[in-house]
Amino acid sequence: MTWAVPLKPGLHFSSLMTDDTKSIAHGLKQRDPELLDMLIEQYQYRLFRYLVHLTGNRERAEDFFQETWVRVLERGHQYDGKWKFEAWLFTIARNLILDWHRRKKPESLDSLAGPDENASFDVKDEKSATPLESFLNEEQREGVQSSLTRIPVIYREVLVLRFQEEMQLEEIAGVLSTPVSTVKSRLYRGLEALRGAMSVNTAAGQGGAA
Amino acid sequence: MSNNTHERAQQLMSQRRIETISAEEQTWLAAHLAECEPCSALDAQTGAALTALRSAQIELPKNLASRTQLRVRLRAEELNERQPGRGLLWALVGISWMLGVATAPLVWHGFEWVGSEFGLPKIVLLSGMALWWLVPGLLITGAVVMQKQKSEREAE
Repeated sequence: MTWAVPLKPGLHFSSLMTDDTKSIAHGLKQRDPELLDMLIEQYQYRLFRYLVHLTGNRERAEDFFQETWVRVLERGHQYDGKWKFEAWLFTIARNLILDWHRRKKPESLDSLAGPDENASFDVKDEKSATPLESFLNEEQREGVQSSLTRIPVIYREVLVLRFQEEMQLEEIAGVLSTPVSTVKSRLYRGLEALRGAMSVNTAAGQGGAA
Repeated sequence: MSNNTHERAQQLMSQRRIETISAEEQTWLAAHLAECEPCSALDAQTGAALTALRSAQIELPKNLASRTQLRVRLRAEELNERQPGRGLLWALVGISWMLGVATAPLVWHGFEWVGSEFGLPKIVLLSGMALWWLVPGLLITGAVVMQKQKSEREAE
């Protein structure tokens, strides 16, 4: 098993390069335990959310979460600070899932869409305040949840990276090790799929109400 | 309104969320959405879906960070135990280098003596001397690289 994180030629985020990424790279080379503790705290939410969306399973996401950080410790010397740390982190997490999945079945990420796809994501809305808002948010949340489960994982992944993680197209391309054109194409299809899934949900809701 | 018009509107609705669209396209889209109810509803639905996607929260498992921190620290300790004593290695390299420099004249005299005994040209003596210096270093480098590869395999 190889764990070289793919760095695409010419894809360096020099404009985003900061002292932060350099000091993270330095600390990871030293296997600085304080830095690792801090990074785990800082990125726990985003990484876990990404893993849950990718696997559709909280327990598995938790296993991958821990394994990802062990890999960060072991492969920290490969991070050179030219990438945003989160992009590198997500690449490691994604490769871990792909490796696991290849061991299970020699296919691509698309085939992750198995029985777990229908599992609940157990998401909650942070902005609920009043009972009415809670009710409306809950309805919307359930709509999004069930819509997301209808979307193939390769599209769901780019939607999450773009609209939840607010990543640039180039960064997503780095995480996925694919050209930017592929990322765009998946985003267009993902949006279309999301719209389609939402319409199915709305129609099902109206059908149920009638 | 033709189907092409609606298709263009839907294409621009996606494009403005993924990339950017020109001011002219924005104006055209706004005008279209103002008069086309189905496209306007679709746009609102997409916007609502993305807003919900952005604001949806995942509940973290209890003590996820602290459990992970503990596991990472234990793994770090394991890795540190496997690391050879680097300080000792560098000290040995330093001593070896100093001894090499100090004994270089003697070694050269030895090579000269062998050369005169066997009538070897000076280039052979110089090559022999170079090898005398390079071979131990190459052997040690090879050993270190093999050790590193072994550690990496064990880490995997």
